[in-house]
Amino acid sequence: MNKQIITASVCLLAALSVAGITGKNFMEVKKPDELRPGPGVTQTKMLSDYFPDIAGTNADSTVYVMEGEQPGGKMLVLGGTHANEPSGYLAAITFVESGKVEQGTVFVIPRTCNSGFTHNDPQEGSPQYYTIQTKGGPRQFRYGSRAANPLDQWPDPDVYVHAASGQRLSGSETRNINRTYPGRPDGTLTEKASYAVRQLIDTEGVNLTFDLHEASPEYPVINATVAHETAMSIASNGMFELQMAGIAMSLEPSPTNLHGLTHRELGDYTDTLPLLMETANASQGRLRGKTNADLVLTGKDKCYVKAQKLGFLYVPYDETGHPIEERVGRHLQGIYEYSKAYSAQYPESPIVYNGLPSYQELFLDADPSELGGTQLGKYLN
Amino acid sequence: MSIELIIFLAMVVVFAGGCFLLKLPVSISMVLSSVVGALVGGQGIPLRHLVEGTFSYVDTILVIATAMIFMKVIQESGALDALSALIIEKFHKIPALLLCLIMLVIMFPGMITGSSTAAVLTAGSIMSPVLILMGVPMLETACIIAMGGILGMIAPPVNIPAMIIGGGIDIPYVGFEIPLAILTFPLAFLFVLMFGYKYAKKISYEEIAPKLNTEPREKFGFKVYIPIFAAIILMVVNKAVPQIPDLGMPLVFLISAVIGLFTGYKIDILKTCKEAINSVLPVLGILMGVGMFIQIMTLTGVRGLIVTSCISLPNLLLYVAMAISIPLFGAVSSYGAASVLGVPFLMAFLAKDQIITAAAISLIASLGDMMPPTALAGIFAAQVVGLKKYTDVLKRCIVPALILIAWAILIIVFSPQLAAILP
Amino acid sequence: MITLIYRGIIAIVMSFTVWNLYTEKKIALQANAAIVLIPLLLRLLMIK
Repeated sequence: MNKQIITASVCLLAALSVAGITGKNFMEVKKPDELRPGPGVTQTKMLSDYFPDIAGTNADSTVYVMEGEQPGGKMLVLGGTHANEPSGYLAAITFVESGKVEQGTVFVIPRTCNSGFTHNDPQEGSPQYYTIQTKGGPRQFRYGSRAANPLDQWPDPDVYVHAASGQRLSGSETRNINRTYPGRPDGTLTEKASYAVRQLIDTEGVNLTFDLHEASPEYPVINATVAHETAMSIASNGMFELQMAGIAMSLEPSPTNLHGLTHRELGDYTDTLPLLMETANASQGRLRGKTNADLVLTGKDKCYVKAQKLGFLYVPYDETGHPIEERVGRHLQGIYEYSKAYSAQYPESPIVYNGLPSYQELFLDADPSELGGTQLGKYLN
Repeated sequence: MSIELIIFLAMVVVFAGGCFLLKLPVSISMVLSSVVGALVGGQGIPLRHLVEGTFSYVDTILVIATAMIFMKVIQESGALDALSALIIEKFHKIPALLLCLIMLVIMFPGMITGSSTAAVLTAGSIMSPVLILMGVPMLETACIIAMGGILGMIAPPVNIPAMIIGGGIDIPYVGFEIPLAILTFPLAFLFVLMFGYKYAKKISYEEIAPKLNTEPREKFGFKVYIPIFAAIILMVVNKAVPQIPDLGMPLVFLISAVIGLFTGYKIDILKTCKEAINSVLPVLGILMGVGMFIQIMTLTGVRGLIVTSCISLPNLLLYVAMAISIPLFGAVSSYGAASVLGVPFLMAFLAKDQIITAAAISLIASLGDMMPPTALAGIFAAQVVGLKKYTDVLKRCIVPALILIAWAILIIVFSPQLAAILP
Repeated sequence: MITLIYRGIIAIVMSFTVWNLYTEKKIALQANAAIVLIPLLLRLLMIK
């Protein structure tokens, strides 16, 4: 055998080995995190129960049903719309593991874009997991990607045209579930997933819907609630209470010319009152420094401290960062105040629950050394 | 010195050492530099990160590989010769208009697909023999094609960097057409005349007529053009009718290449494909290296250092920083530069009209495709005309690049006034 | 359907890359081709 063939074979073998080792890792991260629902969960369903087409696909996701002993209104909490925005995911998980509904029914989908949890975006250097000490010991949670896994609907078009409005976005946005609402039964897998959420809302008669997000600190809509015009009065009443609880929150009306998002389309296409909340997450930002699980949980980042001093950010930023307790706490307190405002406005269908930590308990009163996961872990099973 | 700066310097030194001292291919140097960056950053050799980074370019690889196969097929089938002869025959009396038309043709695939590579490898390769026959030297021809490619990528209707920049702060891709047209078409006509008019005005049809290869046209007639028309029709139909599922550029190129097998001279398809892939492999390797490089930069915090340093400059210097940093970062990818730096700069210019500013920043980002080591537009333009060294193309394009940057900045500065008069 | 076609395109590009890997004389360029193969293979198998 000549030398050229030998060296070529060695190169090929090396490539195969690297593909083998990394391929094994890429397969492993597709396994969903194990959640430990608390006694508040009365039934477990799947999104495919509302739209069978997605059964057995990466778009299917668990829906936790928490029914109160007394009848009341119905509320949907969407966590994990973007799998790289952990406070939304963890707030939904905390709800499922610690919450207890008294009046009405709460539906929680921790992984709304389940497909986004099965991969990580290239060139983002994201951690695959972060670990939190919980009551039941250390638990790993997946850090995923903003958009669905390209494998689920490869290839992307060059330009993504939002079906209902004709709005054009860059091709990769075709996998962003929060650009595909109200969804299509015969569309891409992501469009089918958003269609399934819409079916759930219609079938169950969901009155109030929360979509939990995070934003990079340099993004203008942050520490904010975005409300459809139908949800505006609830939002403004809830906002007042949030400010009383020490949470600075801005209220933004859902833009009418930006399509595919929950706060626009769910309000236009269903009877639910949609609200979207944003907290500050450095690990998804463009200005961030070293990227790892610590950054995800603590939000401590010297690049953002510098950017804050330069006036580039829309949230305060100092050396203490924005720990996960603060971000999850904002979401949980937000859900609490807005659902309370809803119950006041619609007394015939109230939604009442307990068992969840307040912002004060989770963040303000916490021992600073326990921020960054440990404090939140006290409310996870 | 911060650890990020040390990592960055280590990466740069290893990259330069690999390229210039060890004479390694750019791709291998980038891989080595990424590995060293990860090691210095205390990450060990993070295989998963290295491989994950390359996935930004899987679709790009397919576009480049299939575009090259298409190009080789239409070259060998005789379609290129036939089309060059036809164009010169029809338009040789009006060289300035002919040049502008040629520029529009070069830009067209870029306008439709948002990819400079598609423009350079398809329309660029079709037009290069025409330009050369008109007397434009090879180097200037390559420059016209390269600039045409990047301006085509930015010209409306499809501009991916503008979509990426707009998407970063939730501006839908609406109302970009006119600003993009103002940004690109004047420059396109200026550049093609700058590079070509001096030579083309002396065009003498009698002199070049014997050099034209009219044989394919005579032998195969209209049939020989069919693969080119097929590619154009498929690209346009795909964009014009959103109801039809997008075939994507790679499939369009392959379908057109298959058609080309039956419309002209006989082609040894295996040999042609092998040659096509062989000629693009160095670039594909560079893209893989770049993918790893950015992933490690992000992982270790080097990217954050670069971005925050760029935007921390005082206001006037901000324009300078943008003019330098976006094309420089574009060395790794113009789309990457649009996302990583384009978005923060757009936010830094919030007082300006956002749509026009995003459009203008996308124009600057396009220069990334002229920045080594990737320099996709420059490399492929040189390859298409048969130049050995693509760096000469880049050097010759410095002045147009500066004009382009000045034009983009001018438009940003006056964007509020411009927005007021635009419909 | 379109995904299957694209996997086919990947397979085509991969096979010519492997062919070039074996006809290439310089080791550095062989290694270059090998690097390109890694993501192509993982995408072909729909792993990443």
